[in-house]
Amino acid sequence: MSQYLNKTQLKALTKIGDIIIPGDKATPRFSQTDFLVHIDRMIKYIPSDDRSGLKLLLTLLNFTPKVLIRLLLILTDYNQKLPTLLGIPLRLIQIGIKGLIFTLYYSNLEDKEKSSERIYQAIEWETNIFTDEESMTTNSHPPKKNFENPTALEVQQIYADAHIANKHIKNLSIKQRLLYISRLKDIILKRKEDIISIIQKDTKKSRSDALISEIFGVLDYLHFLETDTYKALKDEKVKTPIALLGKRSRVYYESLGTMLVISPWNYPFYQAIVPLCTSFVCGNSTIYKPSEFTPLKGLVEELLVEAGFERDWIQIVYGEGETGKKLIDGKPQKIFFTGSVGTGKKIMQQASEYLIPVELELGGKDPAIIFSDANMERATSGVLWGALTNNGQSCTSVERVYVQDEVYNEFKELTLTKVRNIKQMIDTNGDSDIGFMTTKSQVSIIKDQLEDALSKGAIMLTGQEWNKETIEIPPIILENLNHDMKVVSKESFGPLICLFKFHDEAQVIELANDSDFGLSASVWSADKEVCDRVTRALDVGNVSVNNVMLTEGNPYLPFGGRKLSGIGYYKGISGLRAFSAQKSVLIDENSKKIEANWYPYTEKRYQLFSSMIQGLFGGTLKSFIKFLISGLRLEAYASKAKRH
Amino acid sequence: MLSVNQNSSSIFDMIIIGAGPSGCFMAKTFVDKGMKCLMLEAGKHFNKNTYPTKEIDANSQLYWSGGIELNKTADIGLLRPKVVGGGSIVNQALLDPFDDNALDSWREVSGISCFSREHMDPYYKEVMSDISVQEIPKQYRNGNAQIFEEGFKKNGYKCAPLVRAQKNCHYEKGNDCIECLSGCRIDSKQSSAITVLPEALKNGLSLESEFEVLNIKNTGSMVFVTGKDRYNQIRTFKAGHLTMASGAIGNSKLLLNSKFKNKNIGKGFYTHPQFMTLGVYDTKVNAHKGPFQAMKSDDPNFRINNFKLENVFAPPVAISMLLPGIGKRHSELMKKITHMACIEVAIRDKNPGRIKVNSSGKVIIDKRLNKEDKNSKAKGVKAIHNIFHATEAKEIIDGSFLIGLHLMGGCAIGTSEKNSVVNPDFEFHGFKNMFCADSSIFPNAPGINPSLTIMALSKMASEKISARLL
Repeated sequence: MSQYLNKTQLKALTKIGDIIIPGDKATPRFSQTDFLVHIDRMIKYIPSDDRSGLKLLLTLLNFTPKVLIRLLLILTDYNQKLPTLLGIPLRLIQIGIKGLIFTLYYSNLEDKEKSSERIYQAIEWETNIFTDEESMTTNSHPPKKNFENPTALEVQQIYADAHIANKHIKNLSIKQRLLYISRLKDIILKRKEDIISIIQKDTKKSRSDALISEIFGVLDYLHFLETDTYKALKDEKVKTPIALLGKRSRVYYESLGTMLVISPWNYPFYQAIVPLCTSFVCGNSTIYKPSEFTPLKGLVEELLVEAGFERDWIQIVYGEGETGKKLIDGKPQKIFFTGSVGTGKKIMQQASEYLIPVELELGGKDPAIIFSDANMERATSGVLWGALTNNGQSCTSVERVYVQDEVYNEFKELTLTKVRNIKQMIDTNGDSDIGFMTTKSQVSIIKDQLEDALSKGAIMLTGQEWNKETIEIPPIILENLNHDMKVVSKESFGPLICLFKFHDEAQVIELANDSDFGLSASVWSADKEVCDRVTRALDVGNVSVNNVMLTEGNPYLPFGGRKLSGIGYYKGISGLRAFSAQKSVLIDENSKKIEANWYPYTEKRYQLFSSMIQGLFGGTLKSFIKFLISGLRLEAYASKAKRH
Repeated sequence: MLSVNQNSSSIFDMIIIGAGPSGCFMAKTFVDKGMKCLMLEAGKHFNKNTYPTKEIDANSQLYWSGGIELNKTADIGLLRPKVVGGGSIVNQALLDPFDDNALDSWREVSGISCFSREHMDPYYKEVMSDISVQEIPKQYRNGNAQIFEEGFKKNGYKCAPLVRAQKNCHYEKGNDCIECLSGCRIDSKQSSAITVLPEALKNGLSLESEFEVLNIKNTGSMVFVTGKDRYNQIRTFKAGHLTMASGAIGNSKLLLNSKFKNKNIGKGFYTHPQFMTLGVYDTKVNAHKGPFQAMKSDDPNFRINNFKLENVFAPPVAISMLLPGIGKRHSELMKKITHMACIEVAIRDKNPGRIKVNSSGKVIIDKRLNKEDKNSKAKGVKAIHNIFHATEAKEIIDGSFLIGLHLMGGCAIGTSEKNSVVNPDFEFHGFKNMFCADSSIFPNAPGINPSLTIMALSKMASEKISARLL
């Protein structure tokens, strides 16, 4: 929670806080508020020696009985009447400790429990503060910059601040950066129910979907950052070949500068926190544009501020495609985009103007391959979840299901039985499997794909009740399909399942690879060798064996796609490095030595160099000795060589 | 926010340390005369949209040491601004010229003849013409000001409306100014950051904010100023001349840490110690509504007794710190915050304090009240009690500690090196290329708000200096 105070010291503050402010009907007890999370907003500015004194005092007070602390605090009121020797420490407690508690309690701090509101109501403190921006506001103040559809000029200001912020973040050690991540993690854990409600409002997904994919996924990833960032980003020693004997080689992983992150609407919380935190721990300042469909407005900013992030470290800009374009024109050092192929292409095209590197995580048309020896109970449940989770609105949703012919009917019947039990609603208690579609535009894409398939002979096994207009699309299972149909070749991004029969391994590999996409796949079989062969043969970035959509469930595994599914990898060690700039460093001694390959080039040097190369790569012991001798001679020659 | 090129090895004509009223006024004169100037300021450069809005942030970000510094005996809390605009950002913008009493005593102590109304008035006038000055109109004075006026009348004391450097506080729109202490949101308060500084920047002044000067070296012909920039990098700037404008504590600390020899550095430190007393009333006072400060004492008898009274108030954190008790007692009192009136006594302290630095360079402030000072304080508090009694306050609460806002002295001006630091030409004794005209040169406590005189002296000094240099 604090970069400066440890748990004991924070505990002492809570204890003293409750003695000073025990609360009553109208006002919360000090420990009932969340205010302690803001402690660093003060401690940061206290000079370090005063800070050490404060820490010592708090540690001592933690072990002081409450009665004694109470007595000390009461005595502070009489400090002026006491002798100086006693008066000084009492006054320090009064101004230092009481000051901290009162400042937290009465500063009208941002908090979820609405404690500040209650306190100000109880003391009847109400002010109208006039500002030039708004004619009148009550205790709230407009942001200093415009983050909604900013003009090109306003974008410039955002970048200017981001560049300054980058210098600030770069100066923090990885350990210091991770303190912010830990605090953020704690806050998300504490506020998960309220975060889920906000996600649900924007996305219309079920609570369980939000809990599992967004909250759990995020916490798991932040935990990975806590444990593995240092390993990924510490200076790396690399080999130095014998010809460069005596020198040392290193790779440094450094801050890129300012990153631009543009995220989609399907997992708005996960796709915000994961890349933003990755970028931050790598030392970058970040500009983030969420999808205009699911902006979760204000949520991420609030969490970041609560965790102590400075405002300019991560700046969130709201707007549509036009805003995205302006942000690219601000020339970030790298763009990380997750979303559709169409937008991905446009971004890459615009970025190419400035040679800005891009990392693209785009769509998929992911196959599930079920061999006859697979456990049917497991495979049907897995495929159903993989196809329907988040109502099919995941880039790695299962959209094509290839079932070996001899178990096709069994698989189909079992799936149909299970799909009838799927509960679909926007719930308030976690008792629903799937929610509804998030955007209207995706609904019309699905309608178009469905009509195309049906006109070409596809059979609809479920979902006939859908009126093809509303966002309440039920699970739709189709069969009698071919690869010429849009529903098979294009990404659906909805609760659609396309069933196919296949005969043998070779055929299913060909079918599965017959796609413009190459994101992920799942392979289901009891035969480990079959699984391994198929896994290696698939032209995709991620494969789950006897499971589904699970590679992204492990934060240690990199994630990325092939073909139209994207460029680059994020998450895992590769992800941390993708958000960093590499620097190769070769370190030599400051000596009078002249290197063998420096001028002047002379005939003698040519001969020596030539025989050294012969020796080095000759491959026998004799030639190696030749290498050593000519190497030594070359070195001796280099230091005195002159052109005559 | 301008940033001086890191690799720039350029030599400035003048470096100004401190971007408070003195630094800003001096800088403006210097750049107007064509000098190449660099201003260094430890605090941040905010604007009306970026001033911190919560007390927690205002205290931490606008003052040194995270809000408050204490004297050695921990009984005076010193509020030392650390922000571009300095004291003019966080003060209450009260402008009062010194009276004959204050100037006569300065003339006597320093031996400098220009300390007279006759000499000062043109500069007072000039400064006032640069900025907008207003009184709070009667119809907008709040309950706190009314109690002040009524209590004065009933006790036969004399009071007068305050004169504030402000332009348009929008009282007619119901604006509550209580947060103006942490920077004005509407650019009404005439801080140096919005009056003289923008003009100086326009005319070529370079400003490096968040740069904390740590050391000065003066060879006599060249000054080297070393400090830490906002990225914690140590940098050194060079100039032909140097203006010290970082206030009583700032200047003394820097000179002492840079091993300047004059033994008078840090001596003669005054703060106009202030003491707030609250009166609790049955009906609502709403001291935080509208202009939170409108009246001052104007009583010759108070002046003779070395104190003055002002009607003031503060936001919840500051008030909570003044109140006694913990638990229920505290909480009951806080619930009466809107029923409280508040008057502060500021004394004209006679007992000089001393600013020192310890071996690690940290400031140590030795500042106590002597018998005479305590006596002035007691008389002031008595007058406040009389006012509250006369207006039927139900309870009177004396604040729990002294505050020092007017930080003066430490580099006293005078004719002789034996008892002063700065000479009558505003040069440091023994250094023709190093100047000062801020509150640190005050030879004693005037008992009047210093801000207008700081600006006037800085104007006078910078004109004198540039006339000599150019």
